[in-house]
Amino acid sequence: MILLDIITKSIWAGIAAIGFAILFNVPRRTIFAIWGMGAIGGLIKFSAIHFELGIVFGSFLGATIIGIISIQMAHLRKSPPLVFSIPSVIPMVPGFFAYKMMLGLIALTAIENTDAYLQTLIETVNNGAKMMFILISLGTGVAIPMLLSRKESIKKSKFNKGKKVVV
Amino acid sequence: MKILKEDAQSVGNILLEIGALLMSSGASTNRTRLTMERTAKGLGYGIELLITQRALMLTIIEKDQQHFFSRLKRISPHGVNFRIVSGISHLSWNVMEQNWTVTQISEELQRLKTLPHYPRLVVLGTVGLAGSAFCNIFGGGSIEMVVAFIATVAGLFVRQEAIKKKFNPYLCVFFASLAASLIAGLAEHYHIGLQPDKAFATSVLFLVPGVPLINSVTDLMDGNIQNGIVRAMNGLMIAFSIAMGLFAVKMILNF
Repeated sequence: MILLDIITKSIWAGIAAIGFAILFNVPRRTIFAIWGMGAIGGLIKFSAIHFELGIVFGSFLGATIIGIISIQMAHLRKSPPLVFSIPSVIPMVPGFFAYKMMLGLIALTAIENTDAYLQTLIETVNNGAKMMFILISLGTGVAIPMLLSRKESIKKSKFNKGKKVVV
Repeated sequence: MKILKEDAQSVGNILLEIGALLMSSGASTNRTRLTMERTAKGLGYGIELLITQRALMLTIIEKDQQHFFSRLKRISPHGVNFRIVSGISHLSWNVMEQNWTVTQISEELQRLKTLPHYPRLVVLGTVGLAGSAFCNIFGGGSIEMVVAFIATVAGLFVRQEAIKKKFNPYLCVFFASLAASLIAGLAEHYHIGLQPDKAFATSVLFLVPGVPLINSVTDLMDGNIQNGIVRAMNGLMIAFSIAMGLFAVKMILNF
């Protein structure tokens, strides 16, 4: 039952990725790949949360896998990796925490009661910290394959060895 | 050493155009720099670059070290367009491997600029589906998903119209956030669905500044600290505009 729930959520995460892909006007040949990558990223993130690895580490794992697949896809579908990786990780961007933090900051300007103030402050800092660390983990996760291969372009990386490149 | 077929001035202008297009279409600073350097190398020139969020500065030095060409170009923000990023990536490799000329490059740039966007209805529909997908992920039921769909479509429509009327970009986001959360908030107000707060929370997620924030981290990792901070600030301003829209709706509905 939990497995089914995770899989359904992942498929919807893929659909969210497609929404952003269309908004960013990606080439048509990349859309199906973006759906799959968004779903795989979601699957990893939701499983990680289910196994209590935490949302930050879960996002990091998901983004890393997306980063690795995006390099393979860049060869198969002839587009730079960021065209695949950015729409696929955007469903994981902590928009929810970002605006919770913003709402908290706005609320802090109006609260007089000390206890309520402290409570809101704690929640705001918590949401802000989560947002920052999830963002950093997404950005580094996507960049990891390039950081590890230490090449300037994927066309020179060893993922590419033995593959015929037609541009 | 390659024989220089083009003069430094036309090469400089075409390189600046490529860089400005890349930066405004959502490429990271490092990608912009690499693409421009690769293209310049393909044409037989070495370049020095300064890339900021709103302007590019380029100096071309000819191999004899006698002549150089310098120019600034303003970058006008257009909104993310990955078709252009993808097209320019192909273009730079063509220059490198098939020795394209400046004329060929400028023809290809013209073609890329006129490439069509997806039809407006398709964009509205898929982004609406993305909104209901977010609602599902955060645990909303089918009624909330329909509410999130309608709210997202309305919000995106308002944003597109506001962009057409050339409002300030943050104001466009504010209007969109206001429209989307007003619809979801009304559904919450009249108790439509089991967990109407989920639809309210997810109706504005399509506005999330994903590209500025992810590019910001990428830039920071690459050592382009200044651009990274500028992008992060831009992302936070967008998040703030979204929050202001939500806040306004909460004020209206609690009144």
